[in-house]
Amino acid sequence: MSETRKKQSTETLEEYLQQIKELTDKIIGYASSEDPSWNIETCCLQALSNIFITPREVIVTADLPNIEPETIKVEVLDEKVIEITAKMKEKVRFADLGICHRQGEFSFLRCQGRLHVAVVTERMKFSCEKGILEVRLPRKKIQTLK
Amino acid sequence: MSEEVNIVEKKAIQSDTMMVIGLPDVGLVGLIATSYLISELKLEELAFMDSDLLPPVVVLHKGLPHAPLRMYGNDKLIAVVSELAIPAQSLHTVMRKIVDWGHAKKVNRIVAIGGIPLENRQTINEPEVFIAASNQKLLNTVSKNGLKALDEGYMVGPPALSMRYSVNKNIPAIAILAQSFYNYPDPQASALALKELSKISNVNVDVSKLLEKGEEIRLKARDMMKRTQEEMKRMKRSQEYDFPLYV
Repeated sequence: MSETRKKQSTETLEEYLQQIKELTDKIIGYASSEDPSWNIETCCLQALSNIFITPREVIVTADLPNIEPETIKVEVLDEKVIEITAKMKEKVRFADLGICHRQGEFSFLRCQGRLHVAVVTERMKFSCEKGILEVRLPRKKIQTLK
Repeated sequence: MSEEVNIVEKKAIQSDTMMVIGLPDVGLVGLIATSYLISELKLEELAFMDSDLLPPVVVLHKGLPHAPLRMYGNDKLIAVVSELAIPAQSLHTVMRKIVDWGHAKKVNRIVAIGGIPLENRQTINEPEVFIAASNQKLLNTVSKNGLKALDEGYMVGPPALSMRYSVNKNIPAIAILAQSFYNYPDPQASALALKELSKISNVNVDVSKLLEKGEEIRLKARDMMKRTQEEMKRMKRSQEYDFPLYV
């Protein structure tokens, strides 16, 4: 292949890579919800959460500051969607969060997440330490290395 | 689009000060720590960044508009904070400008505060704090004060760029990195980072209020953390988990 053609091919490849990068950024942008992190109707503030999938289990964590631990409710809604709610020790108003141009108060922290793999709901375990909830759900099909 | 980045000074800037940088990043460790410093030491707003590279946002405080990325200080200290997640694609330019500005203002040292993400952070009562320094002499000095050096590994994000550009400008630079949650605000890690800062500087603040207000901060910082997480994904923050190859 001549040097000129090589150069052209490299440039074309770089253009493709740039397009892929832009597309990836767009997808990340779409995936990131632009909804507010609160809902006045349900009096809920959205909690931050993470889902880790290991070969044996799915571990869900959620940051639940200012909650009453005995009110934590963890539900697997349709095998693959988990919902976590907890009542806060005290109601939080918009003004408490530094917002004066809205009115409303919140009593709960709530989050939902997709599990992506099937889990055994009956064997779900959870614990909460310093406002960090950890839920462990064994996977239906445990992945093992042959 | 103009890519110009300006730092607009509102007050006279003292020379021979230490610059502390706390931008939104892992666990918002640096941002929470630096904001607490500003509040506890009652630092005055000295300057702000004006750039088309930052989103079209102003922050209102007591009815008045402020640029999201601002510099506060007194005669000994300049603190840089941002109330906005810095877009990953602008981070190089923004950090280079901050360091260049610090160089022009003859800062004697740049300290970036940040977090080291830890997967099992919730199981750890007292996170460890590590230090990286821009030269051996500085590393020896901070190590003598009982700080642990981050011997091997990758640094990503604002502390990494602060270190890189400070070295280019020959400014002594330190990164204080506390083990923290990756995408949950971590005021405890911020408090520990501030304790370490007090060992290597004359900046000494009582962190008890920060720890007391921990839950309130975690509640208020959810949105900032969410936006920062989106930018962290773009800057390939997960590289910090990688093993470095140094044969």
